[in-house]
Amino acid sequence: MAQPEQLAPTTAETSWFCCGAAWGPCGSAGGGACGNCRSGSRHCAWPNTSDNCFAITRPDKCGDTLLRRTCGHTFYVQHLCGSTEIAVTIADCGPQTDLWCGEQSCCSGKCASNRLLDLTPSAYSAIGNLSSGIMPVNIRS
Amino acid sequence: MDSLGRRRFLSKAVLGTTAVTVVGASTIGSFAPEAVAGQRPKLDVEPGAPDPNFVDGRVRSLGKGELLVTSADRSMHRIHLTSATSVWKLRPTTADAAKVGDGLYARGVRLPDGTLAADAVWLNIVNLQVHITSIGRTALHLDHHGDRIVGHVVAGTTAAVYNSTPAVSDLSLLQVGKHAQVIGAWRPDTNEVDLATVYAAA
Repeated sequence: MAQPEQLAPTTAETSWFCCGAAWGPCGSAGGGACGNCRSGSRHCAWPNTSDNCFAITRPDKCGDTLLRRTCGHTFYVQHLCGSTEIAVTIADCGPQTDLWCGEQSCCSGKCASNRLLDLTPSAYSAIGNLSSGIMPVNIRS
Repeated sequence: MDSLGRRRFLSKAVLGTTAVTVVGASTIGSFAPEAVAGQRPKLDVEPGAPDPNFVDGRVRSLGKGELLVTSADRSMHRIHLTSATSVWKLRPTTADAAKVGDGLYARGVRLPDGTLAADAVWLNIVNLQVHITSIGRTALHLDHHGDRIVGHVVAGTTAAVYNSTPAVSDLSLLQVGKHAQVIGAWRPDTNEVDLATVYAAA
């Protein structure tokens, strides 16, 4: 059971999402559940920002018990095989964890399961390659 | 190379003042974004803050070794490309793949004059959470939050990842009605993308 708390990092998968004014299919993304999400800012989406959010994302179906964290909460994120840590604040609800239960991402023999966080392109590209689409990370609060 | 050293290196590469030859990525190892990103200092950007070393916009004009990009807020950015810049457009490619009108994400080092020396540039890249509505021989028809997207299969490039297994060119396990994640390259000003990787549960 993942329960990110201060000094209690957990591993998970993360992907990226665009938000705010943007080009292409992202053009209609808007500011996310918190209203201030921007692709070029260090923002993230968290599956348990509210009851309504949780009802969609359902991380519990994958066996993950996530604490309620709301707009503006800060997480610290590091690639599972990287050395750089970034800080992001919650600006949206997501990812839809229950669609990908059991999925695993690995690097150098280390693996993480289940999508518990999405990052903006700015945040994701600071610790990974956007073309990878998904990567394993450590998350702490 | 530490942050200051990398900044000096990229600055000199952009300005053409370095005596060091910028060797291609394949010669001295990866210059992929994850490799260079790993050298960034911790918490270089405050949580929630705009990232000064990142640009999101569309290519307005092309110059020798540089792109002029307009962001959605109408701000203009001059982006320098060097032989050390990693460029992606459906697949890893070179700077000459950039066209006017392309969507762009770029990461690099902001120079004192306000321009960006790019470590990495992704052209037209999209990451879509979709449902598959139909499957043809050369295209997938996708529902993206109610919007129709046509995903073109590109022979030799498009790959599928089923249940975390290694990517394969065989798309036959994709199923109509199922969800998927698509990494692809948008065809500017259309609802069409060329498919790079389709993540799906088989």
